[in-house]
Amino acid sequence: MSIAAGSALRLSGDNLSHRYGVRIALEPLTFAMDAPGVVAVTGPNGSGKSTLLRILAGLLRPTQGTTQFARDGVMVAPKQRRAHAGLATPELSFYEEFTAAENLAFAAETRGLPSVHAAVREALDAVGLASRADDRVGDFSSGMKQRLRLAFAVLHRPALLLLDEPGAHLDDAGRAVVARLVASHAANGLVLIATNDPQEMTLAERHIELRGRGLGNPS
Amino acid sequence: MPNGTSSSAAAVWAILRKECRSEWRTRYGLNAALLFAVTSLTAVSFAAGRIGNRTDILSGLFWIVLLFATLASMSHAFVREVEGRTMLMLRLVAAPTEIATGKLLFNLLFLAVVEVVLVPLFMILMAAPPPHWGPFLALLALGTVSLAASSTLVGAVIAQTRGRGALFAGISLPLLLPVLAAAVGGTREMWVGHPVASSLRLLAAYAVALLAASLLLYDHLWED
Repeated sequence: MSIAAGSALRLSGDNLSHRYGVRIALEPLTFAMDAPGVVAVTGPNGSGKSTLLRILAGLLRPTQGTTQFARDGVMVAPKQRRAHAGLATPELSFYEEFTAAENLAFAAETRGLPSVHAAVREALDAVGLASRADDRVGDFSSGMKQRLRLAFAVLHRPALLLLDEPGAHLDDAGRAVVARLVASHAANGLVLIATNDPQEMTLAERHIELRGRGLGNPS
Repeated sequence: MPNGTSSSAAAVWAILRKECRSEWRTRYGLNAALLFAVTSLTAVSFAAGRIGNRTDILSGLFWIVLLFATLASMSHAFVREVEGRTMLMLRLVAAPTEIATGKLLFNLLFLAVVEVVLVPLFMILMAAPPPHWGPFLALLALGTVSLAASSTLVGAVIAQTRGRGALFAGISLPLLLPVLAAAVGGTREMWVGHPVASSLRLLAAYAVALLAASLLLYDHLWED
């Protein structure tokens, strides 16, 4: 799977930070990155890796600072970002009474993709789940659910692919799937991987290291 | 990638279909609603006999049964997403207004299905006199829209809160009382042959106000 070539993409954050109540989730952060490329976001537990990805996906409004996301020089508002970004995170769950294909078809229809069945088949093929397309998600193992999260993230061929601990629960074949997806999307788009896994870090050519308080000092 | 109204309509349609399919697979709400309707009407009919001549009591009973048969299931439309941890998936593929509109349409459909069973069951078990169908269906339609709009709004507001139970009662009561009062009053007037225009106007105004407030609120409900 790959996104359309030739679309310039720039993502930046200016003095970006976030608090959940009094707890600091993300220390002030400033960055800028252009596609194509792969960026690893690293840092101790609680330093704000997942929070940063949620902000970039447009799910979370930062307490302070701004993010800017531009495609071909046109700014994309945070609320419109879901059309351009794909997010796979351990917090993502699916309808257990539906099959893998039904879950993805629902996502594709809701996103307004023109060819739903082709997109679903391609996404399931890309993560090696095509043979289990008609099995209910409730019967999936944790590794298969993780593969489905990856399929969900790449379903609409996003220019910005946000992967939060993409190798979690995956076997060696699953990790190879992650490497393939990252490589194919990085050819024309931007991939951010939140991870502390040394193997996943090698997929990135750039790093953002978050030096938050982590779990040591929550105040 | 499609934009604007057509993509919003596609998202709402997809969410409505998803809700219908999920309800069909799990029977989460429909079985409970029909069970409540049948058991409550049967119990009243055993206790009070056939009370077809007491149209004042019948009016209240009809709306009480409809409300309690459907309320829990309708307000849980969002809670199910939160408890099943599927809200994140929804938010990644659709705007809050699209999600809420899809769920509102599902709640309308759900109410309509329950009413298709409830109305004849009520007429038979309670030996209710035949209604004046025009005014009755108008009251039913506007009452349905108001009930669906208020329960969808309350469900959306309480879904991500911790004290859902207490909040549900606290928010629902003031929102539902005007609907119930107008619907019960209008149904009573309908059965005695009086005009129901004032009740219909009140229900219509309330439905429009609720829908407008909902559309303004939904976009801001899930901002962290």
